[in-house]
Amino acid sequence: MPDTPTHYTAFFEICLLLVVLLPLLSFVVSGRIPERYSWAVTFTAPLFLLISTICAIYVFTAVWHHQPYSAKVDWFAIGGTMVSAGIYLNDIAALMLLVVTFISFLVHVYSTGYMAGDAGITRYFSMLGFFTFAMLGIVLADSLLLMFVFWELVGFSSYMLIGHWTEKEEAAAAAKKAFLLNRIGDAGFLVGLMLIWTNTGTFDIVQLSGINEAFSWQTTASLCLFAGVMGKSAQFPLLTWLPDAMEGPTPVSALIHAATMVAAGVFLLARVDFLFTPIALNTVAVVGILTALMAALSALVQFDIKKILAYSTISQLGLMVAAIGAGSPASAMLHLFTHAFFKAGLFLCAGIIIHVLHQAQQQAHEHFNVQDIRNLGGLRKKLPFTFLAFIICGSALAGIPFFSGFLSKDAILTAITIWKGEAFSWKWMVLASAFIVSFITVIYTFRMVWTIFMGEEKLTASLPVVEPPMIMRGPVAILSISSVWLLVDINPFSFEGWLFNTLHSGDHFHIGAISILSALWIVLAVSAAYFVFRNKTIHADLLLNNFYLDKLYFKVVGKPSWSLAAFTDYVDKRWIDGFIHASAYAQVTVAHLVGWFDRAIVDGTVNGMASLSRGVGNFTRSFQGGKIQGYILWAILAIIIFLIWVLF
Amino acid sequence: MVPVYHFLWLGAFLFCAGLMVIITKRNAIMVLLGIELMLNASNLNLVAFNQLHPAHLSGQMFALFVIIVAVCEAAVGLAIVLRVYQYYQTSVPDEVTELKD
Amino acid sequence: MHHYYISLLIFIPLLAAAAGLFVPAGAAKYFRYSTLFVNLFQALVLIAMVMEYIPGQGIQLVEKKDWITLNIGTWGILKAEYFVGVDGLSMPLVVLSVFVLLIATISSWTINKNVKGYFILLLILNAAIIGSFTALDFLLFYLFFEFMLLPMFFLIAIWGGARREYASIKFFLYTLLGSVFILIVMIGLYISVHDPNYSGQLVHSFSVLNMAEASNFISHTILDPNNAWMIGPMNARLWAFLLLFMGFAIKLPMVPVHTWLPDAHVEAPTPVSVILAALLLKIGGYGLARIAFPIFPEAAIHFSTFIGVMGVISIIYGGLNAMASKDLKRLIAYSSVSHMGFVLLGLASLTPEGIAGSVYQMFSHGIISAMLFLLVGVLYDRTHDRTIVNYSGLSTKMKAYTALVLVGFFASMGLPAFSGFIAEIMIFLGAFKANSVNGLLHESLAIIATLGLILGAAYYLWTLQRMFFGPYDLKGNIAHDSIYDLTDREYLMLVPLAIAVLFFGIFPQPMINIIDPFAQNFSEFVLRAGKSLTLNP
Repeated sequence: MPDTPTHYTAFFEICLLLVVLLPLLSFVVSGRIPERYSWAVTFTAPLFLLISTICAIYVFTAVWHHQPYSAKVDWFAIGGTMVSAGIYLNDIAALMLLVVTFISFLVHVYSTGYMAGDAGITRYFSMLGFFTFAMLGIVLADSLLLMFVFWELVGFSSYMLIGHWTEKEEAAAAAKKAFLLNRIGDAGFLVGLMLIWTNTGTFDIVQLSGINEAFSWQTTASLCLFAGVMGKSAQFPLLTWLPDAMEGPTPVSALIHAATMVAAGVFLLARVDFLFTPIALNTVAVVGILTALMAALSALVQFDIKKILAYSTISQLGLMVAAIGAGSPASAMLHLFTHAFFKAGLFLCAGIIIHVLHQAQQQAHEHFNVQDIRNLGGLRKKLPFTFLAFIICGSALAGIPFFSGFLSKDAILTAITIWKGEAFSWKWMVLASAFIVSFITVIYTFRMVWTIFMGEEKLTASLPVVEPPMIMRGPVAILSISSVWLLVDINPFSFEGWLFNTLHSGDHFHIGAISILSALWIVLAVSAAYFVFRNKTIHADLLLNNFYLDKLYFKVVGKPSWSLAAFTDYVDKRWIDGFIHASAYAQVTVAHLVGWFDRAIVDGTVNGMASLSRGVGNFTRSFQGGKIQGYILWAILAIIIFLIWVLF
Repeated sequence: MVPVYHFLWLGAFLFCAGLMVIITKRNAIMVLLGIELMLNASNLNLVAFNQLHPAHLSGQMFALFVIIVAVCEAAVGLAIVLRVYQYYQTSVPDEVTELKD
Repeated sequence: MHHYYISLLIFIPLLAAAAGLFVPAGAAKYFRYSTLFVNLFQALVLIAMVMEYIPGQGIQLVEKKDWITLNIGTWGILKAEYFVGVDGLSMPLVVLSVFVLLIATISSWTINKNVKGYFILLLILNAAIIGSFTALDFLLFYLFFEFMLLPMFFLIAIWGGARREYASIKFFLYTLLGSVFILIVMIGLYISVHDPNYSGQLVHSFSVLNMAEASNFISHTILDPNNAWMIGPMNARLWAFLLLFMGFAIKLPMVPVHTWLPDAHVEAPTPVSVILAALLLKIGGYGLARIAFPIFPEAAIHFSTFIGVMGVISIIYGGLNAMASKDLKRLIAYSSVSHMGFVLLGLASLTPEGIAGSVYQMFSHGIISAMLFLLVGVLYDRTHDRTIVNYSGLSTKMKAYTALVLVGFFASMGLPAFSGFIAEIMIFLGAFKANSVNGLLHESLAIIATLGLILGAAYYLWTLQRMFFGPYDLKGNIAHDSIYDLTDREYLMLVPLAIAVLFFGIFPQPMINIIDPFAQNFSEFVLRAGKSLTLNP
């Protein structure tokens, strides 16, 4: 790869820098705005992002279909080997760059309405800017180490944004859980980094892709990287944080937990898929499809509108991961691209519902959970715009023809169909599961649309619900428009548009039969959903609680670590300090014994000699005490003794 | 005739009584009295032993001397006691401890 | 050419302390200004020193004067020198010391009890710390090492908390035990080493540099590398290494000889905690790298797995204990145990990555722990309560404080962009690589050590959740009006630390430039020297 491609001008480089640094600037500026002028942030932050997006469009057009752009500076030396921090901008990265800045911009705009009046609005926009910066860092990073840096930083901003409403205890718990589960995945990522460093001596993605022969432990290394993906993209078994993360503000869920950050795992896989050995890829495929299936089933029975969307996100991410496992990063990236738009659209629609219902509740002084779809219904009359947008984005999610989701899902199904091979093997199960997932997706989307917008109004009937301001409707409208097939290709039945063909480097790929089959399949699913699930709600505690994974983790990991911590505390206080104290007491006891010996025996002897001589002295002194009578007495006694001695 | 040892017993008794007074009594005058008693005990002995040599009166002579000496001694002694009493406001020798360390 | 930078650093605080004796009691409270002035002066000297210092040229700015020369007949001549200098190992630590001591003086402004005595002790401590980090003569090092103990003891015992007597005596006894171990080895080394510069007569040298050369050992003495005495199952050099290791491990501290640390920290006043965590613990790691490893390289290789395992145990055990702590300061003290475990792991690997990571970790942990203890002190100053469960939702009342706590906590858990990350990643890479490069540590050690990262996130985030998030509430006799946000003085001491943590996390190369040549020489020297010596005579 040439380091200085000829057609990249200084203007291009400035634009690229602006793309990355403006969100960072937004982070700094928003954080410094004093509380009194916090309204100012609703102008500055979207403005920065707007410029960033415009620059990103320019950067995208300059890179797309061209040689990758790369630039690097020395960062620091690890054991004498300089590690660089650099940018590697190829087609995938340029696409992600555009998606991230664009959706981030839309979410910024939307947030000015959604978060208006929030006490922590400067912090909110500040972290949103920081997230965008870190996410762009992941996208542009040319080395795995740098990617890991931003990988953790997006985790941090995700933590801050999930816990944005600091007074909510659930938010703090959810933020902690999200970061911890991500940390577990990141520990795996770190082990992967160690393996790669030890065996290849470099983190540079371009250099790594240039290594032709397999290095030792490559399967392990790639699976360790995949552990990081499991955390970030909420794949089995680290998927339980994403539903909880819905405690954060809804625009955050749209940006971070639907469109961009959770997709970073898929992006990472696509970027380093050359590292993955066949075994590793098969594991990835199985984990992906398992996640997709589990999450789709869970989405089927959730009542919280955001949780349905969260499980749906996990399920769609599972499909993307499975596509990567099936050896087709291009279709995964295509789905990532379309999913980013329609899922962000769905979340923002959900945000509108929550927002307007909250405001209506405040006016009417009513309190019920507006996120629970059992309380909702018939909103199509009061929120016609949102209804339309929701239908469009939902159709894209369900994969209905003429919407973008249909095409990208078609690509994934095609990829898995080709990958499964001619002969029957376990891979057929993956294909079957993928079809089941797309079937379930239709059903839960239908259930969601039906319960929220169709039928009669329930608790919302008396509320004065009105459509939100234009500032919130605009982004939703743009995202809805971006959810139709035109995003991918002119032909509504071919996913091989401008996007796919650029990313896909192989031969002709499209199988018409799959498209027709999946279209029919979708139609079947919609009709099944309409006739079977129209008036039914399913109760399944197993699915509602996502197969009790949380409880399992708490029992298997959480509790034992607590006990272990309590045990180490006990060891410290009882055993180690106990030993120290015991030896101290032993010393003191010995000291007392020695002291007693000193006083009683040694000093006793010395004092005994002294008191003996004192006694003798006293005795002899009494002979000459100056008492004449005493003298006489002694003299007489002496005479008597003398006489007795003489006479007898 | 009264045998001589009767006088000797009496003399010994008087002597012992005098000695007893000297040792036990704390007052200097009583001590002087004790001394007189002892001197008289010896006078009795002197006179009693003169029985053995009736031709000489040396025993009685000695006794007279002793009485005179005793008188002088008592006079001197009483004078000292008087001075001591005037000076120390006491006639008990044990309480006169000015020379004691 | 003569330099006096290091002597200035060491003796200016001592002179100031001596001058303090003549300060009348009435003017005692102005004495803190002179302490601050000394710190600022040291900072100036340090800047000049850093300008003069050329990375990669070994020991520099050396000052060497005869100190004690004593003819002891057939035992030869005892020769101890005033021998100081800095290299890639000590330079970062000297920088750290001057910086942290300055911050500690600022944070001592609230001390009201016997101000003069306090600042005199602080100045003595200052000199002893910098002396320990720069001394190259074992006797001089030992002198400074012991000299540190005394002011520390009194600073805890007089200005400490409720159980200060217990904590200070525990601290004193523990470290004194360690000193005794070191003293024993020092005597053994003194007997065994001669100064090669004097050919005619037998001159015993205390120079650490002389001790590190196998050829300087007198044959058939107790620690002669070619002919070391056997004591029980091991030869005397292995015993000596173990004694040194124990002596410095107590200081580090390493599990299971760490229990003085939480107690000392909990009872010590904030500035003393800061110095204790940021600087005194580093003497342990510094001593291992300066004395134990180069003098007994074959023993370092022999025990590398043991040291690595102890490091990993410290990482995990400290993390678990931090999780169980109910007192915020105790939690941070245990996190120090956990972080210093990384130093052991990196040293044990004997790879350039691991060594550089260890030194960087010492430097970075110095800044981060100073910041964390100051943060605890800020809260303690207000409420005199450090019990975690007594607080809830502090972020609503103390916004700036919470922001800085977030910086401190995330820096401590090794988030990238903070200095701890750079250190830990280097240690991880070095420890993992060791097996394939020099065959010393098993890869699993590094993998197990990653658990420490997860634990770190667990206890810090849990603390954040309990103390700073959720609805605002105070329990247990804490007055609500005692809660207010940071004052200017607190900003003055916390913000520089936060900036330093960020700077060295984003631009580590200036510091690594200094450390790296040392790390490579050290790793190469210990491996070469260690492998050239046979273990058993």
